[in-house]
Amino acid sequence: MQRFLLATGLCVFLFSAPEIFAQTAKGPDEELKEFEKLMDQEILETMESKEYEEEKPLGSKELKRLDLMEERLKKVEGVARQRTTTFGTRGNALGATSTGVNRLFNPAISLNGLFTGAYRSEDNRKGSSGSALGNEFDTGFDVQELEFNAVAFVDNFLKGVMVLALHDLDAIEIEETYVDFVPFQNLSIRAGKYFTPFGRHNLLHAHQFPFIDAPLANVAVLGAEDGINEVALGINPILPLPWFSEFNFLIMDGRNDELFDSDFSDDLAYLMHSKNLWDLGENATLELGASYAFGQNGTSFEDTRTHVVGGDMTLIWSPLNRTRFRSLIWQSEYLAKFKSGAFDPTTAAAAPDEDVGGVYTSIQYQIHQRWWIQGRYGFVGLHQDARADEDTHRYSALLAFANSEFQSIRLQYNFIDFEDNGSRGFDEEHQVLLQLNFTIGSHPAHTY
Amino acid sequence: MLKNKSVPVGNLLVAWCLGFFLFGTPANVHAKLHIVSTTTDLAAIAEEVGRNLVEVNFICRGYQDPHYVDPKPSFMRLMNQADLLLYHGLDLEGTWLPQIIEGSRNRKVRFGQMGNLDMSLGIDPILEIPQGIVDRSMGDIHPFGNPHYSMDPVNGMTLADSMAERLSILDPDNEKTYHANAEDFKSRVASKLKEWHEKLHDFEGTRIVTYHRSWSYFFHRFGLKYLGNIEIRPGILPSPRHLAELAVEMKRRKSDLILNANYYPPKWAELLAKKSGGRVAVLPVHIKGEPQVNTYIELIDYLVDQIAEKLSGSAGK
Ligand SMILES: [Zn+2]
Repeated sequence: MQRFLLATGLCVFLFSAPEIFAQTAKGPDEELKEFEKLMDQEILETMESKEYEEEKPLGSKELKRLDLMEERLKKVEGVARQRTTTFGTRGNALGATSTGVNRLFNPAISLNGLFTGAYRSEDNRKGSSGSALGNEFDTGFDVQELEFNAVAFVDNFLKGVMVLALHDLDAIEIEETYVDFVPFQNLSIRAGKYFTPFGRHNLLHAHQFPFIDAPLANVAVLGAEDGINEVALGINPILPLPWFSEFNFLIMDGRNDELFDSDFSDDLAYLMHSKNLWDLGENATLELGASYAFGQNGTSFEDTRTHVVGGDMTLIWSPLNRTRFRSLIWQSEYLAKFKSGAFDPTTAAAAPDEDVGGVYTSIQYQIHQRWWIQGRYGFVGLHQDARADEDTHRYSALLAFANSEFQSIRLQYNFIDFEDNGSRGFDEEHQVLLQLNFTIGSHPAHTY
Repeated sequence: MLKNKSVPVGNLLVAWCLGFFLFGTPANVHAKLHIVSTTTDLAAIAEEVGRNLVEVNFICRGYQDPHYVDPKPSFMRLMNQADLLLYHGLDLEGTWLPQIIEGSRNRKVRFGQMGNLDMSLGIDPILEIPQGIVDRSMGDIHPFGNPHYSMDPVNGMTLADSMAERLSILDPDNEKTYHANAEDFKSRVASKLKEWHEKLHDFEGTRIVTYHRSWSYFFHRFGLKYLGNIEIRPGILPSPRHLAELAVEMKRRKSDLILNANYYPPKWAELLAKKSGGRVAVLPVHIKGEPQVNTYIELIDYLVDQIAEKLSGSAGK
């Protein structure tokens, strides 16, 4: 019953968000009216100001600005000619090889910071975060992550990428380091450590997450750390089909301790993913993906394997003539792992399998160039043994303001509904998360 | 206890190899050269130069903002078949083209290859190259200068030459045809150029407000001038204060034309017109931006006619 209430509440929240946030995200008509009012004020002020006189062509500082711009342009046009002839022949300060410090070939570097604030209604004991599903954030403020990203072509064959991440201001992690290479037409190879294409969410860095936290299913099935982020060799052909179809086959070292992490170094893990995409007219696309990974796990010497399966569906609507102003993304994923339990040689009995599956579905709606409202429902508890962990539902709503591609402020509300009190002593939790996400440096690559 | 494991890798490899054979079928034998361009402008000129020797596709629709294109995988599929990629460069497509090239797994169109042609290399002068240090506080500024050069018909001619030159390298057997086609296109543009100059002659020096600086090269050619832009800085939405300034300045200078490229929402332009007593012209800035503009000459013709018509109805200059 409660779930129904919540789902209804969430829907009401989503559809009434424009009213709720009247000050910030009001309907387009009203907003324009407000804009007009402010503009009228400004016009009046300018006309009444001392500098404004009908006869004088120029007066106020603001108006001079337009002429200054024009002046600057003229100069610039003159410079343009000079530059096209000298640049690259004589070099400049950045590329001076004679100094031994040549910065011309520096990789493209971008830095990303994530500042978060969180409030949890339950369990605010220090150090309780991360101990159970859905509580990655402590009440308080934190620098969630600082990411350093460097990309450059290594030579005429390879492109190299390195991503370092600082978590919680103390640990540095090599999040990704890999090279890309196109050895033959239609085929690319990626080698190194990277976020593997197991579904859609697993590919993302924390600052690219559509919500402040990762979906429950990804955390429960693939692990709270980084999902399936492996040292791997991946072969990625495009298949000659009438639609876009990419296939990934990865041989991985199998280090994910939730899934693989065998006691033998020759136990590799394998991953396959098929990504298919169709255009639905000019303004929408449908993507369907299927993933499968398996490998020996570390529970015993026996043939105890983990199989991981996943399916994803994404519908993106983005009108071509207004790409930046309106779009809708509906994304859903199913993830499950089937992990054979250990065989105990002393009792000759096998431990129970650790199977778990989950789903999430989310909608991101861009109501304005800079405003998004989003909703997400997540569930974990499929394929679970009766004795194993209980069912968990999470309902999330998010409001995002993105002033530019380089900055966003997001406010998220979570309601987590656990099946019973369990060992945690409460069966419901409310969370409010706030995040500032900013990027400096080179332009981050757009994903689709 | 022995370690007991069956190796299923074999099965997988078989399955994968099957896929490999599938895509390994020879799909690279084209009778025609496949050209993919980022915009309709480049596509239309490539059609003129290549005619029946080429097949031309483009990514960004004529009514779409070329600064912001989603790197859809379907474009990667298109790019996968390309022998030659034509793009504006100067970072116009910087946020989306690299992903499409990479996703295409097409070695021919990678940077530095003969199948990769940055059309800005032949353009001189490049307008509005920022001086000094470029910074994100300036908005989505074009750091290497204004890339909207195809709106100047003289540049249109240069583009045809660059294409003929590159096509001759990729397909030397038809070198003469490509150059002859380019010459033919250029002579048609050249004869029109006089007419266009005449139509806009009376309005030389007129100041016009535009949404974005998409018009710089067109204005440069025909002696028109900006009064200002609706966006505060490239890619940054206007503020009431900024539009108020523009409105006052329009009245003061008796300038009354506002050009709004058809992929920008016209609401700000309309508001500005209301406050300044000006008029808005929503115009295509690329070929196929409106159903009636399907060739390069048709586009420039249309723009010249529309602007001349709007300006001749104006109160002053
Ligand atoms: Zn531009």
